[in-house]
This record gives sequence, structure tokens and C-alpha cells, in this order.
Amino acid sequence: MYEFVRGPLLWFSFIVFIVGMVYKVAALISLSKKKDKVVYDHLNTGWALRSIFHWLLPLNRTVAQYPVYSIATYLFHILLLGVPIFLLAHNVLWYESWQISWWTLPEDVADYLSLLMLGLILFLMIRRMVAPYARIVTTAYDYLLLLVVALPFLTGYMAYHQWIDYKLMLILHILSGELMLILIPFTKLSHMLLFFLSRAHIGSEFGQRRGTVTW
Amino acid sequence: MGEPEKTQEPVNTQVIKERLDAIKGARMKMWLEMCAHCGLCAESCFFYLAHDRDPAYMPSHKIISTLGQMYKKKGEVSREFLEQTREIVWGKCTVCRRCTMYCPFGIDMATMFAATRGICNTQGCHPENLQKAVENYWAEGNQMAMSKDDWIETCTWMESETGEEIVGLEIPMDKEGANVMYTVNAREPMFYPQDVGMAATIFHIAGEDWTMTSEGWDDTNLAMFAGDAKCMAHVTKLTYDAAIRLKAKQIAITE
Repeated sequence: MYEFVRGPLLWFSFIVFIVGMVYKVAALISLSKKKDKVVYDHLNTGWALRSIFHWLLPLNRTVAQYPVYSIATYLFHILLLGVPIFLLAHNVLWYESWQISWWTLPEDVADYLSLLMLGLILFLMIRRMVAPYARIVTTAYDYLLLLVVALPFLTGYMAYHQWIDYKLMLILHILSGELMLILIPFTKLSHMLLFFLSRAHIGSEFGQRRGTVTW
Repeated sequence: MGEPEKTQEPVNTQVIKERLDAIKGARMKMWLEMCAHCGLCAESCFFYLAHDRDPAYMPSHKIISTLGQMYKKKGEVSREFLEQTREIVWGKCTVCRRCTMYCPFGIDMATMFAATRGICNTQGCHPENLQKAVENYWAEGNQMAMSKDDWIETCTWMESETGEEIVGLEIPMDKEGANVMYTVNAREPMFYPQDVGMAATIFHIAGEDWTMTSEGWDDTNLAMFAGDAKCMAHVTKLTYDAAIRLKAKQIAITE
């Protein structure tokens, strides 16, 4: 079972994730050439990049308006990408497979960061229940997605501490990571790439067309 | 907002479906799909702020409960739903685009609100006052349905009245090759004709080479607010055609 989820299923997940995202972006761009021609009248690389830059970094008025939520979400995204990439155990695995590895987080730090991540997800969930303006637009789907993101961290933490059954936890950990990868192209998680398209468009729309900024 | 027009006609869901399909380009598809329901657009909306932060006035909620529902129901919506939608997209939104600026993803909610107005418009479900303006644009090319004769007469009258104070003042009509073609809000000649004289005074003192136009002189476009794209284009075209015909270098619009 371990060999299967670590081997073929992992390949499958990455292929679905990559092909899915490439297809999604390509399909949107091709559709835009038919039904959104007006976008191309004003599309401008400079404005697009500035728009992306100001929102990838906390350099916009919305961030200033919601400081607590902003700190939480920036940390959330940084940990979501950073912890798995700089985790020692992951580095050992890809060193075994491809003889590559890089700088890693000290193990106890990674451990605390995983807990912090779970805490942040809990905060985001509670906020959705408590803040009226978030609650009114929140659906079960939003909680499910947060859960999908929480699972790899939760199972990873449990596996590291060898809770319940190490082998089982490890398999569940890999499965939950694969589940997230597979879901990205088909859910709101696809904003990891759509963000750039959307921001490029609106940055150009406001900048090139009206000479004003969106941040 | 005018008195709600109580249309009892059955909803033509076929037309709504076609419209939903027509506006579903790459942007619409992406926007509908990617909204993370984060709620950060709330503070951008003055309706929301003015109603003690009542979440019902949240921009994304207003879209989700109108256009979002239409897509979800594939256009199969009731008259009652359309009436509620009208209350939201005209009564709780001015399409000012502030929410677009506050959205971390840059989702253009204003464009979505405008598209929703367009859908309501196809079912006769929009403010009556705006409908009156649309009819007036089709009839006389301006929102007040002022006739061409009345417009020219107003300009002539203001020319002689203002000319009594400022010697040599003229209000040129359809002069070719002028530097500036000046356009007004149709309410001015209708209710405040002195405004026309005041604008003429400014042009005269500034020594500007300008002209009025007998066609396409109303620079308001209430058809845009009504969500009527066809009439909106018609109104804009009247003004542009006039400028091209008169070989004017610039179009100036009233304040």
C-alpha cells in the first residue's frame, strides 16, 4: 500500500494537477480570445505585473483595512508552500529518488510551524462562523476546502509524533496530500494560478484604460 | 429609483439563458469560479457602511444572490426573483466599482452587476424612470425627449439673452471644423437654460473655437444605467457621429 501511494498514485496526482492546471489556463485564454476580445485592447504587461506585485505582497489598501486577517492569510499561504518544501523528511525522500535536496527547516521548528498552520486554519474557520460579512457568503464547500488543506498537516504532524499507527498515518498523510493536488484544478484552489490571470486583467483594465491603480 | 413597474408578463427564461450564455466569457467563468468567499469586499461598499455593516449589502453577497443564483438555476428564475434582483442591482448598488478595487483577486463585480441589470432589463424588470429615458433617447436622441427645434431655439434664445451682457457672444450651431464640440446634459436646456449661456460665456471669454451640435448633443447615457446595451451604443454613437460629421477635433462634455 505504501509503495503504491508513494509511487504510481503520486505520479498520477502530479499529472492530474499539472495537466489539469495547464488545460484550465489554456482553455480560459482561448475562450477569452473569442468572447473577451475587449481585454486585449488594454492588456499591458507593466500594469499587469504591478497589479500582481502589489497583491502578492501586502502593498494594498485591503490589507491595511483587515490587518489581523491579512497576517493570518499571508502566514497561511507561506506555510502552505514553505513547510512541505523545506521539510527534512521530504528532502530525504527526494534525495533517495533523485539525489536532490536543499536547505531544510530544523525539525522542531517545522513541528511548531505545522501546529501554527493548523491553528491558522482553525482561525479561518472560526472567522467564517463569527464575522457576519464572511458568514453570509460562506458555504459548506468553503469549510471542506479548508479541511482538505488541513489534512496533510494534521496527518503529517501525527505521523511525525508516531501517534496511533505510524504506517497508517504515513499512508493517510500521502493520500491527503495527493487529494489536495488532484483537487486544485477542479476547485477554488485553482486560484493559485487564476489569481495571476485575474490580477493581470484588472490591473490593465484600471491602469491602461483609466490610468488608475487597484491597490 | 422610480416606482417599481409591476409587469405581470411571464418570465422568458429562454432569453435569460441566452444572455447568461452570451456573457459567460473567460472572465465571467473565472470570476464565478474563483471567488474565495473571503468577504474582504465588505468595507469597500458605502451601502454596506451606511447600513451599519448589514451583511446583506456585502458586494459579493449581492452578486452571489442574484447573478450567481441565475447561473445556478440555469436561467429558470421566477418573476419574484427578478423583482428582488432589481431591488439589489439598482437599489443597493451604483456600479461604482469600488469593490473591484478592494477584491484581492480583482474580480470585477461592477461588470457583473451591470450584466445583471442587462438581464433584468430583458424582462422589463428595471426602474421605470430609466425606461422612460431609454424611450426618450430612441425618440429624440436625448433623455428628455426634447425636439431638435426646441434645442436649437434654446441655444438661439440663450445667445441673445447672454449676448445682452457680453457683446459679440455667439452660440455656433453645427459649425464645421471647430476645435471643440460641446455637449450638455439634456436637463440643462430643459430646466436650467442659463447653464447653456454660462458655458457659452466661458468659451467666448477663453476665445475658444467651439460649436454646439444639433444632433447627439446630450452627453448623458441613462441607457447604460438601465442595462440596455443597444440603446447605450445608440446614444454614444449619436455624439461620435456628430463629431465626425462636424470634423470637430474634440468633444467636451458638461460638468
